[in-house]
Amino acid sequence: MANVYVFQVLNGLGLGMIYFLISVGLTIIFGLLNFVNFAHGAFFLLGSYLCYTTVAWTGNFWLSLIAGPLVVGALAWVAERVLIVRVYHLPHTFHILITLGIALIIQESAIMIWGPVGKSVPVPELLQGVVRFGNFAYPQYRLFLIVFSAVIGLLLWLLLERTKFGALVRAGSENPEQVALLGTNIFRLFSLTFALGVALAGVAGVLSAPLRGAHPFIGTEVLGLAFVVVVIGGMGSFSGALVGGLLVGLVQSLMTSIWPQGASLMIYGAMAAVILLRPYGLFGRA
Amino acid sequence: MSDDVILETEGLQLAYGAFMAVDGVSLRIRRGTIHAVIGPNGAGKTSTFHCLTGERRPTGGRVLFEGREVTRKPANARVGLGMARSFQLTSLFQNLSVRENLRVAAQGRDGARALTFWRPAESRREHLAVADEILERLALTARADTAAGDLSHGQQRVLEVGMALAARPRLLLLDEPTSGMGVDDIPVMTRLIGELGREYTVMLIEHNMSIVMSISDTITVMHQGKVLVEGPPEVVRADARVRSAYLGEAA
Amino acid sequence: MADARSMTPAPAAAATAPAAGPSLLRGITLLTVAAVIVLPLVLPSTTLAAEILIFAMAALACNLLLGYTGLLSFGQGIFFGGGAYVASLLMIHLGAGLFTALVGAMVFGAAVAAVVGALAIRRTGIYFVMLTLAFSQMAYFVAYTLSDWTGGDNGLLDVPRPPVAIAGATLVDLSDPAVYYAFVAVLFVAVFVAARRIIHSPFGSTLVAIRENEGRAAALGYDTRQFKILAFSLSGAITGLAGALYAMLLNFAPLSNIELVMSEHILIMTIIGGTGSLFGSILGAAGIVLLGDLLSAVWPRWMMLLGIVLIGVVIFMRGGLWGGVESLYDTIRARRAHRRTAP
Repeated sequence: MANVYVFQVLNGLGLGMIYFLISVGLTIIFGLLNFVNFAHGAFFLLGSYLCYTTVAWTGNFWLSLIAGPLVVGALAWVAERVLIVRVYHLPHTFHILITLGIALIIQESAIMIWGPVGKSVPVPELLQGVVRFGNFAYPQYRLFLIVFSAVIGLLLWLLLERTKFGALVRAGSENPEQVALLGTNIFRLFSLTFALGVALAGVAGVLSAPLRGAHPFIGTEVLGLAFVVVVIGGMGSFSGALVGGLLVGLVQSLMTSIWPQGASLMIYGAMAAVILLRPYGLFGRA
Repeated sequence: MSDDVILETEGLQLAYGAFMAVDGVSLRIRRGTIHAVIGPNGAGKTSTFHCLTGERRPTGGRVLFEGREVTRKPANARVGLGMARSFQLTSLFQNLSVRENLRVAAQGRDGARALTFWRPAESRREHLAVADEILERLALTARADTAAGDLSHGQQRVLEVGMALAARPRLLLLDEPTSGMGVDDIPVMTRLIGELGREYTVMLIEHNMSIVMSISDTITVMHQGKVLVEGPPEVVRADARVRSAYLGEAA
Repeated sequence: MADARSMTPAPAAAATAPAAGPSLLRGITLLTVAAVIVLPLVLPSTTLAAEILIFAMAALACNLLLGYTGLLSFGQGIFFGGGAYVASLLMIHLGAGLFTALVGAMVFGAAVAAVVGALAIRRTGIYFVMLTLAFSQMAYFVAYTLSDWTGGDNGLLDVPRPPVAIAGATLVDLSDPAVYYAFVAVLFVAVFVAARRIIHSPFGSTLVAIRENEGRAAALGYDTRQFKILAFSLSGAITGLAGALYAMLLNFAPLSNIELVMSEHILIMTIIGGTGSLFGSILGAAGIVLLGDLLSAVWPRWMMLLGIVLIGVVIFMRGGLWGGVESLYDTIRARRAHRRTAP
């Protein structure tokens, strides 16, 4: 019986790490650009489909893990340069609307290309087995997912904390004018950050494809959950996205067998409660 | 407390954590006077002002308006009692016409009566009448249908004061009325405040010394959250402590 | 803190021109009546026409919040779906008549909107939006969970369309689609005229003032919270009514009524039509419902076009369709004036 719980806790960690990857991108973009990306879920969806196509063509999951985020990031970069850059100076309402439009285009394009029915992606051959601890067995791919996301998270943390780019992003979150004064091209920094944040959603999309497949209408659900994570953790907070992501993942996983809708109800209830009681989240800057 | 005093504070305090922005200020503003509060940067005059308007809740002491305690009343509830304020940073309805700005301001005084949602706004003749009267007084009648945001900077500052007038208050609270005004516009504002002083009780906080000296009946000088000196302009001007407080700032 | 206008889309032309005289007001109302009469004549079906008016009603209610008060609410689906459920349940379980069901939906919409509004307006800017989004998702999962009442995923089936009756005596039977359209049209015009009056009342002008500069409005003596909650209630009541009419139109109350996507659709109609213009809401609803109906058979991915239009509106035409009509009108008038002055 206890094994069931261990199983679900591990599942929750895996799910939580995926939520972390999605949300950390959203939160970095919000932190630096003060921009709310309602297309984030759609880019995740694109990542999943790119994984499907790459695996279908080449049979190589690892290639999709590189190609997926690159393509998603590149598309995000183009969208930023062509469209989003025109609305930074406008109120949040317009950020929301333009990214809603982008999300619709991505979703409908996905249906045009891949059809209205979801696609499933096989677990990569290398990771099809299980890992045994005594009489407890756990799928290799799910363990890989946890470890791989953690590595990405660590690399991202190093990028933000230890590089010039990271220093600029952090400084820009505090005071964009000052970064502009330093002679940095703030718009290039914005584009790169937007592409990076969205590419992280792409990574999450690829990673989740072998587990949950690729579905055209999953964007809204993913976006909603990412908002929950970001709000609970605090908008703009890296560690908040990690803790929030794991919390949401664990709650969902533990509740699946009991009352799945109840999990969603709780999660969104928690989101509302956090905004009302602690608007800067559990880890956000006041 | 005599009828003569319209606004009074008793031991007013406002603390931000350990820092006392306002530290035991007792003011008495007499009816029908122009009372200026001045002081170097960080003296606590803006914090005091915020306690009077209801923007901030004092952490200690009381505020009495016409003998009624208003210490904990929210800002919007003070308007109905007869207090109105202007802002240091011009705060208008930029996209609405100048007349509509003033009409909405006049209507605000009636509080919940503005919740009427059946009759057209224009049917509220009294508010339009107030708006037109103030337009005239501010010499803005010709620009009544211009969007407030399209007025010149000086005109916007004048309208800013007019918005407070439209509430037909008994006490006008002006937050640095000449702030950001060009040299050419300042005399206009000075004359306006001087005129208003004949009909209203005016309390203002101000940076510009020469204005304060020329129009005020009473001046309170604040320093480090406390009242340093209070009295008519000549007394304040002659006071050595005032000079050293300002020199301290300059040094 | 974000300034009070941070939620405001395009400075609404109609609301910013108080100089617009009563003749123009009457003109817009006449235009609406004309549109309501012409719609069923030019469209292939009266059911489609009824759907347009129902969504126009929902968009108009959304516009009261977004265009006039500056509040971007993702909660409109709660009131729409909630209104549909309440009216249906009243009719199915309590045998309620037409008016009881409609009034019930309006009261429910107003009450829920007051609660959602009272909580959401405690925050501003993006946090306000996030709160309405969270409530919207919660409402969806509540409806999903209460499947004994709502039918869950299958929706609530066999919703009746009772006749207009007084004291048990049937006056008008609404089962004919054309008759039902007429009924919806009468309600729509009533709501439209009422909304116009409200916008031009002291209450409405205060909402615009709050949209423009909430801090100043509060300093002028307005209890801005009270106004915003009332705006929510009003919007909720109208949206609830629209939801109830929609359930009666379809004889069905699907779960999708209360989904976040419904809130998005209502918002998109409002924005494409033009925020701050009530007639724009009719244009927006008509445009999108028609586009969906005409294109969905030929090109099932017509929603992509919606995405493109949305982006186009944000970048090129922030006044929406109505804003476009207005600037076109201005251009033509300016040209004519120019021609007249020319020798």
